[in-house]
Amino acid sequence: MTAGETKPAESARSIAWARRRQAAGRVWREFATDRGGLIGLIVLAIIVLLAVLAPVLTNEADLNVTTTELPPRDPPSADAWLGTDRNGVSVLLLIWWGARVSLLIGFSAALLSVFIGTAVGILAAHFGGWPSTILMRLTDFFLVLPTLVLAIALAAVLPRGLGTIVLAIGVASWPTTARLVRAQTLTIEARPYIERSRALGAGHAHLIGKHVLPAVLPLVFANTTLVVANSIIAESTLSFLGVGDPSRPSWGGILQAAFSSGAATQGAWWYLLPPGIGIVIVVLCFTLCGRALETVLNPRLRGQG
Amino acid sequence: MSEVLTGAERKLDADDGGGGARGAGLVRFLLGKLGGALLSLAMVVVLGFLLFRMIPGDPVVTMTKGRPVSAEQLAELRERLGVDKPMWQQFIDYILGLFRGDLGTSYIFQRPVADLILERLWPTLLLVGVATALAIMLGLWFGIRAAWRRGSGFDKLSTGTALTLWSMPQFWMGLLLLIAFSGAFPSGGMRYPDTPPDFLSQSLDVAYHLVLPCLTLTAALYAQYLLVMRSSLLEEMNSEYLTTARAKGLRDDLVRRRHAVPNALLPTVTLVFLQFGMVLNGAVAVETVFSWPGLGLLTYEALSGPDLPVLQSTFLVLAAAVIFMNVLAELLYRILDPRVRAT
Amino acid sequence: MTEVAERQDEPTEASSSPVLLELRDLSVRYLAAREELPAVRGVNLRLGAGETLGLAGESGCGKSTLAMSVLRLLPRTATISGEVLLDGEDVNTMRWGRLRTVRWASASVVFQGAMHALNPVRKIYDQIAEPIQLHHGSQVDQTELRRRVLELIDQVELPASKAEAYPHELSGGQKQRVMIAMALACEPRLVIADEPTTALDVIVQAQVLALMSRLVAERGIGLIMISHDLSVLAATCANIAVMYRGEMVEFGPSARLLEQPEHEHSQALAAAFPTIGDPAARFKPATSTPLPEPEPDRCVGEPVLRTENLRVDFRDRGGATVRAVRDVDLAVAENEIVALVGQSGSGKTTLARTLLGLQQPDSGRVYFRDTEIPSSARGLRGYRRQVQLILQDPASALNPRHSAYEAVAEGLRIHGLTDDEPGRVARALEAAELRPAERFMSALPHELSGGQKQRVVIAGALALDPTVVVADEPVASLDASVRGEILALLLRLRIELGLSALVITHDLGLAWNIADRVAVMYQGELVEVGTVEEVLLNPQHEYTRSLLAAVPGGTYRSGPNGECAH
Repeated sequence: MTAGETKPAESARSIAWARRRQAAGRVWREFATDRGGLIGLIVLAIIVLLAVLAPVLTNEADLNVTTTELPPRDPPSADAWLGTDRNGVSVLLLIWWGARVSLLIGFSAALLSVFIGTAVGILAAHFGGWPSTILMRLTDFFLVLPTLVLAIALAAVLPRGLGTIVLAIGVASWPTTARLVRAQTLTIEARPYIERSRALGAGHAHLIGKHVLPAVLPLVFANTTLVVANSIIAESTLSFLGVGDPSRPSWGGILQAAFSSGAATQGAWWYLLPPGIGIVIVVLCFTLCGRALETVLNPRLRGQG
Repeated sequence: MSEVLTGAERKLDADDGGGGARGAGLVRFLLGKLGGALLSLAMVVVLGFLLFRMIPGDPVVTMTKGRPVSAEQLAELRERLGVDKPMWQQFIDYILGLFRGDLGTSYIFQRPVADLILERLWPTLLLVGVATALAIMLGLWFGIRAAWRRGSGFDKLSTGTALTLWSMPQFWMGLLLLIAFSGAFPSGGMRYPDTPPDFLSQSLDVAYHLVLPCLTLTAALYAQYLLVMRSSLLEEMNSEYLTTARAKGLRDDLVRRRHAVPNALLPTVTLVFLQFGMVLNGAVAVETVFSWPGLGLLTYEALSGPDLPVLQSTFLVLAAAVIFMNVLAELLYRILDPRVRAT
Repeated sequence: MTEVAERQDEPTEASSSPVLLELRDLSVRYLAAREELPAVRGVNLRLGAGETLGLAGESGCGKSTLAMSVLRLLPRTATISGEVLLDGEDVNTMRWGRLRTVRWASASVVFQGAMHALNPVRKIYDQIAEPIQLHHGSQVDQTELRRRVLELIDQVELPASKAEAYPHELSGGQKQRVMIAMALACEPRLVIADEPTTALDVIVQAQVLALMSRLVAERGIGLIMISHDLSVLAATCANIAVMYRGEMVEFGPSARLLEQPEHEHSQALAAAFPTIGDPAARFKPATSTPLPEPEPDRCVGEPVLRTENLRVDFRDRGGATVRAVRDVDLAVAENEIVALVGQSGSGKTTLARTLLGLQQPDSGRVYFRDTEIPSSARGLRGYRRQVQLILQDPASALNPRHSAYEAVAEGLRIHGLTDDEPGRVARALEAAELRPAERFMSALPHELSGGQKQRVVIAGALALDPTVVVADEPVASLDASVRGEILALLLRLRIELGLSALVITHDLGLAWNIADRVAVMYQGELVEVGTVEEVLLNPQHEYTRSLLAAVPGGTYRSGPNGECAH
């Protein structure tokens, strides 16, 4: 009998895992039918891989402005495929290394923002009454603050560095996620299966952990890709306005250097175009992925394909 | 049987006929919204004050940058600006000043901040106003058509364009336009110094300078409005009342114009107002690129100081604008949607 | 009704009236659907002018698709073959312009769920006036138009003031009246009513049906009415066609079909809604597995769940107090099924939630076996092992991400009953008649039928060995043929396990099928409580009588075809 008992116990766990695998497979299959999302994912994977492998594939010493032997502000040539910057460093190399900074900040700021937003959203929706009122009041307040000005202020107040930029973007952008998560949590909490679970005797931890979070997380995940896109744009804007980390130039930082050295008026297009195109490609890919994921994961949008 | 039934129906009639209650509801709604807005504003004032005071740097040194000054002069300047007082004293002075319309004196420009703001306000209003109006028209028009013919070539093209524009940092879009049209249009500022002072010449000159910044901001905003309009119309298109309208024998474009679009416009219009903060973000970036002398450029200039009184004032003004737009959005939604009106 | 009844025995095909609608070998297939079967398969049908036809069937049988194909209102993914002849003209080959002229002017539709079929931001007046302007625009000036719209509003027995109302300001019944007024606006020769009363209360349903039959009969309009409820169709239509999996399996006069259905699916539909007072249906819900004989000398035990002067108040948006439950004394005894009957908004669901401790009463008490139920979270947890909830819509009562196993095990895990969890789950599933249990354990809700889902919900309740279950409309959203099976299960659980139940319902037939006692709730109060026979066969309170009068099939005493139309 003992053998008979352990077998179903294992099968109970394997049922749950098989279900998760199956659900993931279904999401992947539906996602793969969205051509835009698939292309976005592939391009992103390549870019992330290249950025991670930058120290292996390129020589960091070539970034050093004092040892460069290339002429400054030189149009594209065989030595520097995308020309050189004001210091004579290859723009291609700058962009390659800048991708690391832009992506790192984009991901970290998005994670911070989504974490705060999800926590506030779920708590505000699950616990009604005054805690919810206060949390929503706070969300509304942050929502009306001009995010860019707030981020500028934060970035100006705190010591310069990547951490500051991440914090500034994260703190300025969480309310949208909080609103989304709150709305989604409220719809989930209105479902009868929550009532059933409550009638079975479930407490807050069980309801949130077993029902609310699993239902909200896919949407949060889709939302995160969109937040990453926004964070990368926000980072580039902040760097462009001069509050970035000058020691490790991101794409926005490269653009800022180009703009302040007069590249726009001198027609040094090779200095201005590539970093911007990099931002557009990465942001577009994240957006395409996010939209495709949203369509697959958000049942409300599913009817629209 | 009939007595009970009419009782039940009468109860329903009583439920929906409360005209007086609705009027009272509106007043309560208005007061609630205004109260919330004022609370937000008060929080902005406090936050603005504290935040910018934390920026490192001595304002007096900033002001006298590059000039030889004695220690006595510095001390006198400190006293005049009130930065030698304790924080709470400064805060009270600041609040009292706010009520008198006194926002302090700019460290960089050496002028009253209130004057500066007023001077810089209308270029921003002009830029944001024209760009938003254009963006709304374009965005809604393209969004409606893209949604109605979902999956068509038109939809793919316009949505693809919008997504690409949406993925561009606005300042970079400005830089591109600057490179492309630097010969045909002025690259910065709002007017040439040598323009004749008459109204027509001045207006034309401003309009000429406005083209590039306005184009940049419009392109960024229209993309967003298009995407919002498209998705809200797509959502509305699953509605059953559209089947009713079709069953009535309405032409396809009448179904769209008369039934689907008015319903889909509701969330879109609200969102346009609610996302006003994004518009301002765009304005800061665009004004910086094109040296358009508005509040955004003022913020950027003040940042280099840092010019505390200016920074906290632009922060306050921009936040107040978003708060105002939010209240407007709530009001508008209530006016437009009978369902909200009744509750 | 009577003149319709006289025509009943003639087969419709032989009727002398000109043919209004003819379907010839109609098939509809949806492109996207993965099912191999088309939604509608080779249906032939004729409807003469002024004739009434009921289209019966369960959800997914193709009846709505069939109705929508008459005006070519199907989505673009549908491919149609065969002919739809409306006044001799094939709708499928019409040009768009012609089709638009025919829509609403020749045939109009009363849609299911008027809630969503009306434009939420346009006034009632505009929505009724719209088709008139569209089809007779040139001949109607504004005053004439106004007169006609107000006349229509008057004909559907709505006050003229409603013309200026928005849909959300109307009740469900009022909205359905607006839909009817709209359908009649262009004086069509055919009206198609798609489940026109499904979401409505019994009494409102009876009113709307009566109104619709009267207006259609007065004007000599042909009517096709779609419903899952044979008794509703029998009360309104001369003939009934039964659809099953896209095919028309039976066609005949209503009375014959209701009393002697031939096809086994028609039999299941007919048996699903019992005639109240019919001894053959008492303690015998329609089920394929035989029930144990009701024990003649059954003793109902002590009350297990009891309320005393229970009162629950709500505040509405205006701040006024709404008494949802007023001074209710109700008891459910051991080994007893009590039916709590009332229309929506009568407070019965609030009462159920209060019994489960999901809602705090404003005054009064709830006792479980002589102890008052605790209000602390810890105390309630213990109580909730004893009293279980079964919800109306099993599709939404199960987390779509959880397998049947997890759904049943949820209660066990909450209460820490983790020893031999698989065994407990298997036993609960088998008790809910999901056999063999292993087959269902890994199934996700969307892989189960409606009846199976409700059995999983019931299994989840049984897993905790409760004393009482509170079932809130347990069969209201299930197909007719499943209804009997689930009721039989509740009855069997009572007989075999002695499980008490409080079943909340708007359906008096359900009470007749399984309950021992009935409590009738009206506007928060219990107006009548007694044994099923006392209350349903000899109602004392006026409201109980009006409920009984509104039952479409009528009661056993007043004859099978009742006088519900009046």
